Amino acid sequence: MGDILGLVGKRLGLGLVILFIISIIIFFMVELLPGDIAQAVLGQGATEENLAAMRKEMGLDQPAIVRYLGWLAGAVQFDFGSSIVTGKAVSAIIGERFVNTLFLAAYAAVIAVPIAIILGVIVALLRNSIFDRVANVATLTSISSPEFFLAYILILYFSIKWGMFPSNAKISDGMTLADLLYRTFLPALTLVLVVVAHMMRMTRASIISLLASPYIEMARLKGAPPWKVIVKHALPNAWAPIINVVALNLAYLITGVVLVEVVFVYPGIGQALVDAVSKRDFPVVQACCLIFAATFILLNLAADVGAILTNPRLRHPK
Amino acid sequence: MSYFVIGYYALLLAVSCLAAFYNRRSVFLLAFSLTLVSFVLGIVGGVGALKAVAICAGLLGLTAMVSYAFREFLIALAPIETAKELRTAPLTAAFGMFVIFTYAIAGIFAPWIAPFGEAEVISSAFAPADENMLLGADQLGRDMFSRLVFGARNSVGLALTATIAAFVLGAGAGLLAATKGGWFDQFMGRFADVIMSIPSLIFALLMLSIFGPTTPVIIIAVAIIYAPRVFRLTRAVAGNVVVMDYIEAAKLRGEGTGYLIRREILPNSMAPLIAEFGLEFCFVFLLVAGLSFLGLGIQPPTADWGSMVRENATLISFGDITPLIPAAAIALLTVGVNFVVDWMLHRSSGLKE
Repeated sequence: MGDILGLVGKRLGLGLVILFIISIIIFFMVELLPGDIAQAVLGQGATEENLAAMRKEMGLDQPAIVRYLGWLAGAVQFDFGSSIVTGKAVSAIIGERFVNTLFLAAYAAVIAVPIAIILGVIVALLRNSIFDRVANVATLTSISSPEFFLAYILILYFSIKWGMFPSNAKISDGMTLADLLYRTFLPALTLVLVVVAHMMRMTRASIISLLASPYIEMARLKGAPPWKVIVKHALPNAWAPIINVVALNLAYLITGVVLVEVVFVYPGIGQALVDAVSKRDFPVVQACCLIFAATFILLNLAADVGAILTNPRLRHPK
Repeated sequence: MSYFVIGYYALLLAVSCLAAFYNRRSVFLLAFSLTLVSFVLGIVGGVGALKAVAICAGLLGLTAMVSYAFREFLIALAPIETAKELRTAPLTAAFGMFVIFTYAIAGIFAPWIAPFGEAEVISSAFAPADENMLLGADQLGRDMFSRLVFGARNSVGLALTATIAAFVLGAGAGLLAATKGGWFDQFMGRFADVIMSIPSLIFALLMLSIFGPTTPVIIIAVAIIYAPRVFRLTRAVAGNVVVMDYIEAAKLRGEGTGYLIRREILPNSMAPLIAEFGLEFCFVFLLVAGLSFLGLGIQPPTADWGSMVRENATLISFGDITPLIPAAAIALLTVGVNFVVDWMLHRSSGLKE
């Protein structure tokens, strides 16, 4: 057991190091601005006094390293300073939105994961049949379509032509869960379509490469019934790739959510990021980027840890 | 029961029976499962749903015919060696090639094909289609069709340039890392790890917020984001080539790194790299389309598919499909490229089953 803990700990440490480097990149990228933040906010017409006052207020008179350490210390406690457009605390702007985004992603994941894995396994078992080929074309089409294309098609049919679901996913406090699920159905469905296609293809590929391995052949040759080959011989080894597929696609959801939130006017962190980018509100942009990157790394980490836990071979690296 | 419904089921059943009789198993399975699905669809959606299915099937048949003809056309034109390869292409790949060909023509000859200029205001906002304007006008009264044609040049051109930039950076570094090895290899590997652990859209947004959404910035940002992916693959492919005996022989002959990369390693790792180029192009194209949909891509009045979707999005709430057309144009090209790449990967991997 100590063995596993050591490996997981090592992987966690690596994740932390990467996150640290990313925080450096995110922070110092803004330093690359032509001029500085104060100049960018106030524009070309700003007077010297205004610029100086702004710089003083934002602490720009201190060296970058000091400001970075201050920012990092704040970020660890979920305090990202205040927005330079509205002056509100960044954590107040994105805190609730982050929960909303997680809700949407989780909603999509709960629908998508079982469907994708079951379909992926079925398609892998039926490989080279006509269904496999149809599924291949369908998933490829779904992956290749931009999210907003799928989203607008869904809006056109489900909300405008058939009037089944609202096209605007505005949510407010005090809504019941059923209401919430109903309002956010279309954005979740958009994400489901994209993610299911990805996951199905990956599940299919990993199951097929598994079924091609010699011990499956052996099990078949000794006359084990097909269901037993799948359940007893293939499945224990299939967990690792499947967990990997799920975690990677959840990570994919985190990025896909940005475009979908904008299309459906859903009050999530992705929309906050896009707004902040067009208003050049750097503290908000930095905070959102850090949160997205951290979630992304966390999920990749989960994939690796899951793989280590379910696959004893990975516990003894060469 | 209308004649349409009777004819619909009669046709499907006839096709299934014929297929079963002549032992065409896959055709039979497809036709008969479609029949079964149609029962459910017919009950739930009525005649309308069945008509939609019929129209879809008709379109699919048309596409298949176009793809088949285009493949035969290519086979007839191509030299013998290439023609042999092309014969193995499935219809989907032929369709992909047809789409790429069409887009290339539209992009290259845009000013001659498009009836109006891309920024030319010719009528009132959101004017419906007439014999002058194939697809109607956009939110400023510019011809939608002309903008679509110019979009092929601008959007695809931008994505292509960005992909090439990413490839030159990534493949160059990958080849160098594979031949040199040592600390350079280690450093580039770690660097790629870090870049790849930031979600691409988020990283692009960060860079665009800082440097402003101009075309050179987009190209550089995309190149930085996608170069690590190319680097990984090139490093892996070239890593397998570097250990070969003929590389050792070339080294003993006293050839320099430049010669090794150009004459020995590159030709032997070309096939997977070309397939990767197609894949990367799809990713880049979708990313750039997403960015311009968010208003951070090519700036107006230049025609660009992503921003065309956003600008005309209000039409959707009136049940008009105009905003879907540029989005469909994006999807069609990515699907086409993916089909071709799928075939190439399938061919080079020799199919592991």
